[in-house]
Amino acid sequence: MELLLSNLAHGFGVALSLQNLTFALLGALIGTAIGVLPGIGPVATISLLLPITFGLPATTAIIMLAGIFYGAQYGGSTTSILLNLPGEVSSVVTTLEGYKMARNGRAGAALAIAAIGSFFAGSVATILVAASGPLLTQVALSFGPADYFSLMLLGLIIACVLAQGSVVKAIGMVVLGVALGLVGTDVQTGQQRFTFGIPELSDGIGFVPIAMGMFGIAEIILNLERPEARSVLKSKVGSLWLTRQEWLRATPSVLRGTVVGSFLGILPGGGASLAAFGSYMMERKVSRGRHEFGKGAIEGVAGPEAANNAAAQTSFIPLLTLGIPSNAVMALMVGALIIQGIQPGPRMVEAQPDLFWGLIASMWVGNLMLLVINLPLIGMWVKLLQVPYKFLYPSILVFCCIGVYSLNNNVFDVYMTVLFTVFGYMCNKLRLEPAPMLIGFVLGPMMEEHLRRAMLLSRGDWMVFVQRPISATMLGIAAFALVLMALPNIRKGKDQALAG
Amino acid sequence: MQLKISTKDVISGIFLILMAVVGLYLNQDHSLGTARRMGPGYMPMMTFYLLGGLGVWTLLIGLFSGPDPLEKWTGLDVGTLIAGMAAGAATYFLAPSVWGFFGQTYNAVGVGILVGMLVFAVSPGWRPLAIVCAAVAVFGLTLEKGGFFLALTTLMLLSCVADRTHTLRGVAGLLAFMLALSWYVFIHELDIRVNLWPVL
Repeated sequence: MELLLSNLAHGFGVALSLQNLTFALLGALIGTAIGVLPGIGPVATISLLLPITFGLPATTAIIMLAGIFYGAQYGGSTTSILLNLPGEVSSVVTTLEGYKMARNGRAGAALAIAAIGSFFAGSVATILVAASGPLLTQVALSFGPADYFSLMLLGLIIACVLAQGSVVKAIGMVVLGVALGLVGTDVQTGQQRFTFGIPELSDGIGFVPIAMGMFGIAEIILNLERPEARSVLKSKVGSLWLTRQEWLRATPSVLRGTVVGSFLGILPGGGASLAAFGSYMMERKVSRGRHEFGKGAIEGVAGPEAANNAAAQTSFIPLLTLGIPSNAVMALMVGALIIQGIQPGPRMVEAQPDLFWGLIASMWVGNLMLLVINLPLIGMWVKLLQVPYKFLYPSILVFCCIGVYSLNNNVFDVYMTVLFTVFGYMCNKLRLEPAPMLIGFVLGPMMEEHLRRAMLLSRGDWMVFVQRPISATMLGIAAFALVLMALPNIRKGKDQALAG
Repeated sequence: MQLKISTKDVISGIFLILMAVVGLYLNQDHSLGTARRMGPGYMPMMTFYLLGGLGVWTLLIGLFSGPDPLEKWTGLDVGTLIAGMAAGAATYFLAPSVWGFFGQTYNAVGVGILVGMLVFAVSPGWRPLAIVCAAVAVFGLTLEKGGFFLALTTLMLLSCVADRTHTLRGVAGLLAFMLALSWYVFIHELDIRVNLWPVL
């Protein structure tokens, strides 16, 4: 406990430096902005800003990128409540009760509880990350290569099981991602694999062109195909303060949402949207106001908003302690760390204390900033919605293109981005999910290394994966998850849950 | 069981199988090694077999999970898709002998993409995709010789074609604002090494 406090104090020392504070604020502002704007999400934004973060110190870069991610959870609720227009996937359920509240003249109360609930959940989840980090790291340090391989396999499979749509196609995309990760120089023999003699490919396919093409530019094209649907604010925001009765009703929901969100955030493939939906279902079943659902029940805003923010924070746990990204945003974080020369994994807590504790402290600071940014400045964010998309997308393209070029000062990366844009567009048309592919691409090279090391240690005996208890447990859970998904009833339930 | 074809799943399956076959073919160059000492070809072999298997599975599911047709799949779409890819590939091989500039670095790739995308743009269904990708390709082609400002201007002008509601004044304002902003962010603050103006 004492150690935790002194570590946290160290973290606050890092987070409160002027540079880190500035970039946390910048991240929170950008996050809120893209959260408010439909059609551009945290994945696209973070991949867009990845090249720009090269010049920054690693800690500062990660602090800013993290700020964008959780900032988007705050911003997403604003448009859901005021315009019935979810800015992010994770805020879809907030529209259900939030917009009804706005039409009842309680928009201010809905916005206030969304922000306060998010802040509370974010603070609790931050403490959870701080407490569980070193603990899990200790466990992870006892892992052998075989255990690591199985753990990554488990992560990939759970990410697929929880992904939208067909599990088989999601696994196919993961394997395709692993295959793309094979391109480049083989680490152990130095042989070039699948490079076609192109020198730019000897370090592997760039992470940024893939992310930027599939999540950034392909999204723009898909948005251009859809007609623009935006309405002007009709309801007044009203008082930002809650009545005594609203406080009494919302508090237990926030608490429940925090617990549900914290748990679902840790799961690979879970993340903020699943958490918000889980909490909404729970509130509809157990809250005192369940009879008012559909008419603007404050529980339906307080719970999911707390949950999505808690999940946004706790989804950092697998990344920071095990080096395993649980969703597309975390895969981008791995990319950012690797570009900075930091190998994510259990050794990160000890090797990079500034980064680990600084990030945790900055999450809390960032949440506090977001509370201030969101509540009093709500009018400004709503105004942002008046910028039409037709001005937004050329600007986004400019940032994408220069960003990609500046990676290596080479137009090759620009053309790779175009190719992955076309690929990402086709994937969308074929209902192939890009997020599992990105996770597979990031994890693939690490899995190969662990696999080869494990097999060397076991003298070529494949049984090592079931003989080591940790590894066997992981594989058992993975197999169990796959069997569950084969059962029609559970699959139907999942499809409904994710369709919400 | 009745055959209810889901076009999306069938094409996805074929795509995954195709990738696996190409991967396995290319992997012949790499030594497999043994399970104990895996060579550079071992992991790719397992990966591509798995990929092929998943492709077959997706294909089989696709035969019964439908009907789920693609949103648009007119004759023109198919035609321009094939013609565009052929034109792009042909341009890639021929361009360097037409103009020496295309032989340098990766300019042949850029002009290949550009020509392919222009053929795509014949079909209205592909237009947003084609225009945006063409704009990015032109950015790549013009950046090093044409300089920062010229490349950004062409990128924005071309990409604005994708939205019909743009007005001349709006585009001009956007252009001025973005040129100033990107100069400030990328050149002044981040100090990216690139020519600002055309070099002859």
